[in-house]
Amino acid sequence: MTAARATPGATQGAAPQPIGVAAPAALIGLRGVGKTYATASGSAVRALSGVDLSIAEGEFVCVVGPSGCGKSTLLRLLAGLDPCEEGTLTLDGRPIAGPSGETGVVFQAANLLPWLTVRENIRLPLRVGGRHAAAGGRIDELLAIAGLVDFGERYPYELSGGMQQRAGICRALVRDPRILLMDEPFGALDALTRERMNTELQRIWQASGKTVLLITHSISEAIFLADRVVVMSARPGRILRDLPVPIPRPRSFDTIVSMPGYAALAREIRALLNAEGDAP
Amino acid sequence: MSAHAPAMDTAPAVRPRHPREVPHALVSGLGMLVLIGAWEGAVHLLHLPGYILPDPAAVVRALWSGIAVAPSSPLGWYIPLWSTFRNAAFGFLIGTLLGLLLGSMMAESRTIERLVMPYAFALQCLPKVAIAPLIVIWFGFGDGSKIAIAALLALFPVMINSFTGLSAVEPERIDLMHSLSATRLETYRLVKLPNAAPYIFAGLDMAVVYALLGTIVAEFLGAQQGMGVVITQAESVTDVAGVFAALIILGALGMALHGIVRALERRVVHWADRGKR
Repeated sequence: MTAARATPGATQGAAPQPIGVAAPAALIGLRGVGKTYATASGSAVRALSGVDLSIAEGEFVCVVGPSGCGKSTLLRLLAGLDPCEEGTLTLDGRPIAGPSGETGVVFQAANLLPWLTVRENIRLPLRVGGRHAAAGGRIDELLAIAGLVDFGERYPYELSGGMQQRAGICRALVRDPRILLMDEPFGALDALTRERMNTELQRIWQASGKTVLLITHSISEAIFLADRVVVMSARPGRILRDLPVPIPRPRSFDTIVSMPGYAALAREIRALLNAEGDAP
Repeated sequence: MSAHAPAMDTAPAVRPRHPREVPHALVSGLGMLVLIGAWEGAVHLLHLPGYILPDPAAVVRALWSGIAVAPSSPLGWYIPLWSTFRNAAFGFLIGTLLGLLLGSMMAESRTIERLVMPYAFALQCLPKVAIAPLIVIWFGFGDGSKIAIAALLALFPVMINSFTGLSAVEPERIDLMHSLSATRLETYRLVKLPNAAPYIFAGLDMAVVYALLGTIVAEFLGAQQGMGVVITQAESVTDVAGVFAALIILGALGMALHGIVRALERRVVHWADRGKR
C-alpha cells in the first residue's frame, strides 16, 4: 500500500490490507481516539469512540457513515481544529497539537470568501502567517490544473458550484500540504457535476501525490475515489470495516460499475450502512 | 460592477415597458410641480404674508442671492456651508473611527462587551442631542463643540453595526482561518472586517446624516458661522424665504453626503447580496 504512490497504475490496491494493522510508515495514525462534545443545553454527546486508523503517505481514504456519526468530528480532529483529548493522534509520528501547514482542508460548499476574486481566494493561505512570497506562478499552475485559468479574476458569486469547489481545492493545495482533508466537498452538487468533480479530483490526486482523507455520504463516490473505504457506525462513531478497493486506476464512471468486485463492495458497504441506520 | 456576472443578470438590458407605466423621474418631477403649484396657489389664494409662508419665487430669489456671489462673500452660502460641511465631516470621521474601534473591541472581547454594552444601550436610549448643551460648555462655541457633537451622534450607529457585523461571521470562515493557523489579527483583518462591511456601511449611512444633524444642533446653540447660524439669523429677522433656502441647501448637502457613502458602498460590498450560496 505504501508503495502505491510510486505506481499509480494497475497494481494499486490489489493487495488487501489486514484490518486494524497499521502500515509501518503510516503518515497519519489514530489510536483509541474518542471525542465527547458538550451541547448548548449542557448534555454530553459522545461523537467518536475508540477509533483506530492509519493512513499511509499518498493513500486516498474515504470515510462513509450514517449522518451524525462523527465523520466531520474525525476530520476536525485531524485538521487540528478541535483538540484531541482522548487517545493519540499522530502526523508523521508527532502528535497533532493544532492546525499545521502539513494539512489543507477542503470545506463543505467551498467556503470561499465572497469579497475576494478566485485568485485572491487561492492566495489567502499565503497571506496568512506573513508569507508574502510572490506565488503568482504557483497560483497560475493550480488554476490550470483546476481548469479555472479564465476565472482567476472573477468573484465566487460568478462561478458555478462545481467551479467554486475546484477553487476551494486549489486553496487547500496552495501551501503544498502533504495531506488533503475533505469534508463532503461535493455534497451540494448535482449528480453529473459530482461525477465530473470526482474524475477531476482523481486526476489532481494522481498528479500531486497528496494523501487524501475524504468524507462522503455517497457509496459510489467513495468506491470511485478511494484506495480504502472506511465504514463508520452510528454515533458514537466507531470504525466498522476498513475495505480496500481493488479496482485499477485511472477509474472511469463509464466502466467502474462493471469492474469485478465493484458490485460486491457496494453491496457490502450498503448493507453495513443499512444495518446502522441514520443517527437521530 | 455591471460588467460582471452576465450569466446571472437575467433581466434584459432594455426592460420591456408596460404601455401605461410612467417613468420614475417623470412621476417625481410631476409631483414636484404639483407641490410647487399648490404652494404658489395657497400663498395667493389665502393671502399668506411672506413672514409665514413666502411664495416659491421668493425662496428661489433667496437661494440665488446666496449662490450668485463671490465664494468669499459673507452674504453667500459658501462660507457657512463649508464650515458646516467641514465640522460634520471631521465629526463623522472621528465618530466612525471611534465607533469601529469600540465595536471591534466589543466583538473581540467578551469582557469589554460586558463592560461597554449596558452603557451603550443606556446612551442609545438617551436622545443624544440633549447632551449638546453640556458639550458646548466643555468645548466652547468654536468648531470643537460642533465636531464633538457630530462625532458623538455618528459613533453609535457605527459602533452597534460593526459589533453586530463582526459577531455575525460564519463559523466555517473562522474554521478556515483557524485551519491556516491565522493569528487573531489576521482573522480580523482578512475575514471578520470584510465580512462585517455590509453592516458597517449601513451604519455609515446613518452616521453621515447624524453627523450633519449634530453639527446643525451645535450651531443652533451658538456659533460664529455655519448653516445653523444662517438659519437662526434669518429666523431672527423673520426672513422665512431665507430659512427655506438654507433648508434646501442643507437637504442637498445631506443627499450628496448620503450619495457618496452609497457609491462607496456599491464599490466595496458589491458581493454582499450575491455572495450567499
